[in-house]
Amino acid sequence: MKEITLTINDKEVKGKEGDTVLDVCRANDIYVPTLCHLEGLSSVGACRLCVVEIEGERRINPACTYPARDGMVVKTTSEQLEGYRRMILELIFSERNHFCMFCAQSGDCELQDLAYRYQMDHVRFPYAFPSLPVDTLNDYLVLDHNRCILCGRCVRVCSEVVGTHTLDFGKRGWRTVVCADLDQPLGESSCISCGACVQACPTGAIFSKVSAYKGRTSECQEIESVCSQCGVGCEIKVLVRDNNLVRIDGADITGLRGQLCPRGRFDPLNETRSRITTPFKRDGKGELEECSINEALDLVVKKIKEIKGSYGPGAIAGIATTKCSNDSLERFNRLFRDVIGSDRVDTLDGDSYRVIAKGIASFNGKGLEIECPMEEILEADCIMVVGADPLESHPVLGSYILRAVTKHGAELIVIEPLRNSFAYRANLWLRPEEGTESDLIKGLAHLIADKGLGDLKKAKGDFGKAIEDYDAQKVSKGSGVRADDLELAAEVYGRAKRGVIVYGEGIASESIASLLNLAALTGNSTKNGLRVISLKPNGNSRGAWELGIASRDGFSVDGVKGAYLLLADDAIEDEKLVAQLREMEFLVVQSSYHFPVTSMADVVLPSHIWAERKGQYKALDGGLRKSRRVLKPGKGIKEDSSIITGLMKRLQEKGGK
Amino acid sequence: MAKTKVATVWLDACAGCHMSFLDIDEAIIELAGLVEFTRSPITDIKEFTPVDVGIVEGAVGNEDEEEVVKKLRENCKILMAWGDCACFGGIVSMRNLFEKEEVLRRCYVESESTGKGKIPSSKDIPPLLDKVKRVDEVVKVDCYVPGCPPSAKAIKYALEELLAGRIPILPSEVMRFD
Repeated sequence: MKEITLTINDKEVKGKEGDTVLDVCRANDIYVPTLCHLEGLSSVGACRLCVVEIEGERRINPACTYPARDGMVVKTTSEQLEGYRRMILELIFSERNHFCMFCAQSGDCELQDLAYRYQMDHVRFPYAFPSLPVDTLNDYLVLDHNRCILCGRCVRVCSEVVGTHTLDFGKRGWRTVVCADLDQPLGESSCISCGACVQACPTGAIFSKVSAYKGRTSECQEIESVCSQCGVGCEIKVLVRDNNLVRIDGADITGLRGQLCPRGRFDPLNETRSRITTPFKRDGKGELEECSINEALDLVVKKIKEIKGSYGPGAIAGIATTKCSNDSLERFNRLFRDVIGSDRVDTLDGDSYRVIAKGIASFNGKGLEIECPMEEILEADCIMVVGADPLESHPVLGSYILRAVTKHGAELIVIEPLRNSFAYRANLWLRPEEGTESDLIKGLAHLIADKGLGDLKKAKGDFGKAIEDYDAQKVSKGSGVRADDLELAAEVYGRAKRGVIVYGEGIASESIASLLNLAALTGNSTKNGLRVISLKPNGNSRGAWELGIASRDGFSVDGVKGAYLLLADDAIEDEKLVAQLREMEFLVVQSSYHFPVTSMADVVLPSHIWAERKGQYKALDGGLRKSRRVLKPGKGIKEDSSIITGLMKRLQEKGGK
Repeated sequence: MAKTKVATVWLDACAGCHMSFLDIDEAIIELAGLVEFTRSPITDIKEFTPVDVGIVEGAVGNEDEEEVVKKLRENCKILMAWGDCACFGGIVSMRNLFEKEEVLRRCYVESESTGKGKIPSSKDIPPLLDKVKRVDEVVKVDCYVPGCPPSAKAIKYALEELLAGRIPILPSEVMRFD
């Protein structure tokens, strides 16, 4: 990009063509106050605090929207400018309720900071005292119009970053307010509670219920880590005070993976489950009693040996959550497969793995490495979402899709029998009868091949033959999807230059194989694979699956007498599995929180929560993420990996194999 | 050297600013050598006499407060506003979101702890103004020390500036609104 030279405050500085005056100032460390500007969002010049004097201009202009030009002479500070800035602040203060003493954001407020900077010790204008409502209906967010300065940062972050565009301005003139959808309460709107607006808000107009009044940024330690709640692996900045969570921010709100979602931003601060802080073992009367970690591990080792002796190693099963880091999971796998000698090992999301693995294997006999990076979505011109509601299951990935749609008009095709928050945002929603989506995908492949938009030679195996019968009329009849919708979907995906397929847990292996073939025959391939991404259920699903923990050929606890459940801070929802665990002769549960399943256990081992873990995770697209320890674990609560290592050592020492 | 005469008044506010003033700790000893307090909630003197500095805590919410602040203005050379109520209106001005009658009814009749409530009326009780006013909406103010309450540091800074013959403007790092 061409370099340009400007004179700012009598100093020669460099900028790039296309920069605004503000960009050049920021790049050269020249202070210009702003409120409505947020790096990474579009500039609108709403607050006017960044006004500067530009030589040759009759009036002052906002730096954030004024294009920098070669040879431009700019002044960012003068008596006149500072006077205007102070006046703008006074006008803002007089417009609504900006009394700081009871505001949740006092001490963390950009408006307040500027008032201090400009030594605004009084206001020359009468206050308007408008009576505006406060919207508290959302589970996590409070929208207090009285604190709002109408800078529009929330509106822009909601549309430009999150892509849901729930927030916008309503009403006119001085009555203007930020509103959700058609002036719905936030809690009843299309808001996904991702909290990007909270982080973008310069004042206390939108704040989080779970962080309010817990502490100011200046009183907290800031620790950068990654979120392990889902497989997107967003980058987080955690604010901690006295070993308590105060707030979780996206590390870079407008950057990649900095947006966050309610599960990453708010839920961890809303934890109400009761924590397990010591090991427990069942005493003579059958009650769980506290014990030392050594007592607990000794009992586990004794029981494992007994069961192995009586029934063989296959009578011992291990089931792990995929929330844990690679390190713990790798050891867990070794404990069973190498030390105990049992191949009855699985993850709680093992069923999802088997469906996906089978689908990919039947396509080309390979594994997850065929999938593309998440960032492909942002560049896509067509996104086909099959059997998933990414806004619900992986909200930030869902945002990537919406961003591609709003930013450069990518076409969004949703194939989903049930109505969900994503389907109604689609350009084309194909709604097959349940159980017919596999036929529908084959029908699309057939149509694409027919139209010459794909090359069946690029498909694997006999896919070309397999789809021969799936002509539009037949598929339409079987699936209940109109034939012209099928045609349209085939045209749009077939003609896309960068079509990305995203599929969820709702679809069968056969459909997965068909989707991969669809991507292959339309040439939607990347250097290493295809533009296809599967949504995996947990934070480290991919890491666990690649470690080979989940049994590929099915898993059952039939004939199992002793089980070890590594639950960590996950919850167990599979009631059938819980019922099976109840029948075990011996059950070990390693969990951060008390659950019905822990009260069933013979030995309970404590476990770290996400914030206490440090380690590596694999994002759903295979990207490596490293998490840092954010909170110090309670005394005596050891790392999962060291507990597992302790077991391995004991078993090996005393001839466990 | 004659002592600087100072009068302070406590209007529509919580007394927090005066409390914060007493928080200047041992500096108060030195100050006592330089300053003479006439009318003040601290001295409990009620009469106004001419002073060098008048200090106002609180906004103007009723007719009595309006009269008091006007009298103070007449009797002082420099008028200093202490705290967010005096400077901006603060918490007490939040009643401006409602009509006066609504506020009185909510307070004396409808409040959860009230049995058979009645809006008090007596010639000894000063009537509320329709709207709460910050001090500079009633009389001219020469300098402002915002804060809820202003920190002891801010109050000390402002008094020292005045004693040195300067009109204080709080530096950014001392100014706080909470």
